[in-house]
Amino acid sequence: MLRLTVSRALNGAKSSPTCLSVASRYQSDQKKPDKIEVFIDDKPVLVEPGTTVLQAAAMVGVEIPRFCYHERLAVAGNCRMCLVEVEKSPKPVAACAMPVMKGWRVKTDSEMTRKAREGIMEFLLVNHPLDCPICDQGGECDLQDQSMAFGSDRSRFTDIDFSGKRAVEDKDIGPLVKTIMTRCIHCTRCIRFASEVAGINDLGTTGRGNDMQVGTYIEKLFMSELSGNIIDLCPVGALTSKPYSFTARPWEIRKVDSIDVLDAVGSNIIVSTRTGEVMRIVPRVNEEINEEWLADKSRFAYDGLKRQRLVTPMLRDNNGDLNPVDWEAALITVAKVVKHAGNSIGAIAGGFADAEALIALKDLLNRLGSEHLCTERTFPLDGSGTDLRSSYLLNNKIAAVEEADLVLLVGTNPRFEAPLLNARLRKAWVHNETDVALIGPQVDLTYHYEHLGDDPNVLRKINEGDHEFADKLKRAKKPLIIIGAELLERKDGGALLSTVQNLSTKLNSNEDWKVLNVLHKVASQVAALDIGYNPGIDKIKSADLKVLYLLGADGDHINKEDLPKDCFVIYQGHHGDRGAAIADAVLPGAAYTEKQATYVNTEGRAQQTLVAVSPPGRAREDWKIIRALSEIVGAKLPYDNLNQIRDRLDEIAPHLTRYGNAESANYFKQAAELSKKTESAIDCKPIDVKIKELQDYYMTDSISRASPTMAKCVQAVLKQKQSACN
Amino acid sequence: MTSQAVRKTLKEVKPILSLNRDEARRRVLNLYKTWYRQLPYIVQTYDIPVSVDKCKKKLREEFTKYSESNDIRLVDMLVIKGQMELKEVVNVWKQKGHIMAYFKDTVEPKPKDFLSKFLNGKD
Repeated sequence: MLRLTVSRALNGAKSSPTCLSVASRYQSDQKKPDKIEVFIDDKPVLVEPGTTVLQAAAMVGVEIPRFCYHERLAVAGNCRMCLVEVEKSPKPVAACAMPVMKGWRVKTDSEMTRKAREGIMEFLLVNHPLDCPICDQGGECDLQDQSMAFGSDRSRFTDIDFSGKRAVEDKDIGPLVKTIMTRCIHCTRCIRFASEVAGINDLGTTGRGNDMQVGTYIEKLFMSELSGNIIDLCPVGALTSKPYSFTARPWEIRKVDSIDVLDAVGSNIIVSTRTGEVMRIVPRVNEEINEEWLADKSRFAYDGLKRQRLVTPMLRDNNGDLNPVDWEAALITVAKVVKHAGNSIGAIAGGFADAEALIALKDLLNRLGSEHLCTERTFPLDGSGTDLRSSYLLNNKIAAVEEADLVLLVGTNPRFEAPLLNARLRKAWVHNETDVALIGPQVDLTYHYEHLGDDPNVLRKINEGDHEFADKLKRAKKPLIIIGAELLERKDGGALLSTVQNLSTKLNSNEDWKVLNVLHKVASQVAALDIGYNPGIDKIKSADLKVLYLLGADGDHINKEDLPKDCFVIYQGHHGDRGAAIADAVLPGAAYTEKQATYVNTEGRAQQTLVAVSPPGRAREDWKIIRALSEIVGAKLPYDNLNQIRDRLDEIAPHLTRYGNAESANYFKQAAELSKKTESAIDCKPIDVKIKELQDYYMTDSISRASPTMAKCVQAVLKQKQSACN
Repeated sequence: MTSQAVRKTLKEVKPILSLNRDEARRRVLNLYKTWYRQLPYIVQTYDIPVSVDKCKKKLREEFTKYSESNDIRLVDMLVIKGQMELKEVVNVWKQKGHIMAYFKDTVEPKPKDFLSKFLNGKD
């Protein structure tokens, strides 16, 4: 229904100014009418027709105060804070919703404007509690700031009847978002976010005027993987973070820019720390990746960084218990075993491994004469395998998803594998008329899609042209095929990839538009493949290894039964999870908030995390552990500091140190050509994805498995699913 | 023009004490001798667990530390500092710890190579 209103706006029904401003951002390819001149505080500015007063003011650097307006949401125009005076207009106008007319003279700082703002502020504060000292929003509250800047200097609020201010019952919308609804100023940003971006139509308003309430109508969980964003959107303290509540104030926090590694999207984040602890994680704007949103797992799983941590090196004794030892003892023991093993040593890199650690481990093993370096996640090696980057990247980049007119998802559930990519898909579906089709199990993606079944042979049929969807694909101007990395882990992954590669070369008419896209599930995979790790652990299982080095491999892909009896397992990582359980020696590493490390996201964009807190106990940065071990083993690696190891990275693949830059891949045709040699055929086992529903999303890796907040979320979702009103 | 001006200012720099190198050298030697003669008394008054011989070595070490200094003004300044230091020692304005600080016997050397830095957790 949402989609209809917007499309009407797009088609030029310019009756309502509300629709106009949304539409104006998506009209780029239509013929542009002439610009019109308006004056903001007597400063002339040329704007396109349909621009709102607020946008025009922003162009000349005048910021008009607002509560309800948000540039990524539809315009509501209900807070009235943005009222400004327009010359020759009897009443002030709401700047966020009013499109400018030719020759308008807008006065953003006139007597009338200031009086209007002061009046609105007074009305808002009449029913807003004065609990700033105990409010979590205190210090970063829009209402607080704007009442200082635009409010009256005295109060006329005298409650002569002692009736008290308006009080509203708090809602329980889950373990992540705390509601104090008395503080709500009815800006409806949360409602618009829920229905437009998150695609959950649970939030809404009841009542009118003074009795208006924002809520979920009936008490229910706000079941979205993007629910944390309404905390950031709320201009007051009505929606705050439950895990963060009463723990820190914004002015006593140290903020460090970093990168999220809990999925392969590589969202930009700000890690807030105090007293050597991570207090919270909030998104950082990056238009090319996460805009200004952040998925719940990335935002709230940080309390897992304080639990189940490996804080000291450990060695397994004869009774089978892991005993804490110091670094010297651990490294000497491990080095002895490694030396003894010679070249029958292998390594598996897990989902959180950074590029520095990956390169150090590869260099060490190569010096020892071993090539058994694998990633946990499999990728088909038929055809060009991982030699050509184009076969394993999300080639068309995340932001460009918005421009697609037809998206085919194969064997993936982007909503939970990459929530922010799914938000983009939904944005495209809402605003750009993008059609989506899915091959795989039927899941809720928060938007409508054409379900083509879960038979992998549909893909073959589309490729051969005897499926009705094939025509649609051919007709599409900007088609996009997104394959889940999980699909390619199947036995017939090579055949499936080859089919898609061939299909996409047939569709590819435009050089800049890349049809083939692979969506990875873990943060380390692209960097590992770039550096030259072998995908999948079959090689490890078949080799008769004496030593196995697990670099944060917690994915439950390997266990003791797969290995020879006398195989010595070394686990290096930050959490006592599945990997550490089978290890004979444990070397504690640093988590992503504790090291300066390089990660490459699924588009092939290299980004670096920065040190927010120091590693706990005796834990050390990962590449340093390997470097220290190499010296004791006697195969000293030639780098002593971060710059030197980055030079080494640069030597292997220069894009790994070009931070922020997504290095595009090439050779699509050649890859498709090579893949034709694939002999295996697609079998008819139906396509499946692991994460189907919200409760599966929260705990997928060693950090989120250790997080109590994530556990609470799973409980809450399961409880909600059982209740009657679902 | 400018080079002349520079030379002029260089020439006319105000001396601290000594007018030439010989004079500066004499002052240094005088200071050294005074310290040297004071050493047995220092060991006695401060009751430090160091022999006079060792103190002599340390004294020589402290002086030779600046053997590369050629600037007369700098030498003079160092002599003045040395005299101040001596005065503090003679008048027992210092304490035992201040004297022992010259020997740095409680200072641990910082780890320099990668491995010892790693094992100490310092970098």
